[in-house]
Amino acid sequence: MEGIILESVSKTFRHRPALFNWLGREQRGETRALTSVSLTVSAGTVLVLLGPNGSGKTTLLKLVSTMLLPDHGWISVNGADTRKQAGKVRQNVGFAVVTERSFFPRLTARENLEFFAALDDVARKCRKQQVETILQQVGLSHAADRLVMKFSSGMWQRLGIARALLKNPSVILLDEPTRSLDPGSATQFFDLVRTLAAQGAAVILATHSFQEALAVGDFVAVLDHGRLSAFRSLSALQQEEKLRSFYFESTGDFEESAQLVSREA
Amino acid sequence: MTLGSLIDKTIAILRRDLLIAVRYRSGFVITAAGSLAQLAAFYYLARAVGPSFRPDGLDYFPFVLVGTGLFSFLISGMNSFVQIVQEAQQAGTLEILMSTSTPGPVLLFLSALSALTGHTLRLLFYLGAGLFLFGVSARTLNIASCLTILGLSIMSAMSIGIVAAAVQLAIHKGSAVLWLFSSASWLTTGALFPLTALPGPVRAVAQWIPLTHSLQGMRSALLQGARLPSLLPEISVLALFSLVLLPSSLWLFSWTLRRARLQGTLSYY
Repeated sequence: MEGIILESVSKTFRHRPALFNWLGREQRGETRALTSVSLTVSAGTVLVLLGPNGSGKTTLLKLVSTMLLPDHGWISVNGADTRKQAGKVRQNVGFAVVTERSFFPRLTARENLEFFAALDDVARKCRKQQVETILQQVGLSHAADRLVMKFSSGMWQRLGIARALLKNPSVILLDEPTRSLDPGSATQFFDLVRTLAAQGAAVILATHSFQEALAVGDFVAVLDHGRLSAFRSLSALQQEEKLRSFYFESTGDFEESAQLVSREA
Repeated sequence: MTLGSLIDKTIAILRRDLLIAVRYRSGFVITAAGSLAQLAAFYYLARAVGPSFRPDGLDYFPFVLVGTGLFSFLISGMNSFVQIVQEAQQAGTLEILMSTSTPGPVLLFLSALSALTGHTLRLLFYLGAGLFLFGVSARTLNIASCLTILGLSIMSAMSIGIVAAAVQLAIHKGSAVLWLFSSASWLTTGALFPLTALPGPVRAVAQWIPLTHSLQGMRSALLQGARLPSLLPEISVLALFSLVLLPSSLWLFSWTLRRARLQGTLSYY
């Protein structure tokens, strides 16, 4: 099947203290990042992941991208299992990570993209053109030949989005993609995501912004303490207040939810 | 992966590393100055030791020139594997690089190959400066023997480097392990003095380190004009090391990479 399927996916991170732990206070233990999460994102749709900090949004994206492997359950990307066919999955997935520190600071934006395009098997003959087009799409043409160490946060973020789109992936993963973008650039970005989905891409977008969720999403999934606490079509939640209320109910923050209801009344 | 794609990726990595090296403008000058200072120190050490000390039948300066030059080259080559992983962990690029369509071991191998190109230029500069500035004669040089020994030495150094990179992924202390290895190797492989100066048990241990055979072979080929048949013992040992170590080290790296993905420690450092 085209798209992404997660079936009963669980992920736990175990913390092993250092050898001479009596010197410090590091604790042994484990963090259950995801617990039995099942989801489907079909081709041509945008799923928005909402959830408090530490709810497992980034872990979920990393699992789909094969940066992490699941402890239990399985994930399929366009029919390929992320455990057994990781190479095939990577050919189809573009991932814009939340961190800014994922480029070579002493290369220009163009050089960085050309380098990653080569690693991602973008054909040599169309590579330059592809880089040019993507730079234009994310509004970085004017800074294409500037060293990225001189970039602002927003420019790093746009470059991250550009890298994710380089190989024309059929699955796009976006982790807080507009966190450092100005409102104008964010709006342009929403249009870009909708266009990509209309062209058939399956998109998962993790965010804390209700406005962003409503602007780009077809469905919304709420993660709370690693569990999928709610999943709904966004066509039923077309107003920001409704989505906000739905979110706080899903995360069990009833007090916040009640305040919203009284404010609406 | 096709050969064309492999060449394409190699060019991309070489280009990246060259561009970064060029933009650290002072790097070349500092490296060259460091090499010259080191050569001068060994030159005056050889003069202080005097002409009567002839290890393996060679003057001491050429002996130590080839010993230290090749030793530093191979250890730097090994270290480049660890550095690639370590720098990518610290720069935050490792997770992204390991999620591209290029398999992790291939990426590591190509990146180290690029670093080795830089180290080769440094070795040529070091040996060239020793030969021309400090008057060492290399009239008997046997090029075929030199290249064979160098090629096999690089293969075995790569294997050890990949193991160290795997250690870096697994416990984030690859450079410490390599530091231990290189410190022990200074003592046991005959870079600074002949192996005959060491006690019997240490000499026996030295035979299990590929560097020992690399240094012996290169001195014979470069300074005594040894032909390939007379270097057969060194060539056989180095070939055997490479044949066993290279596939095992690649397997180990793939295993630690998968383990890091499972434990979520890929970006830790």
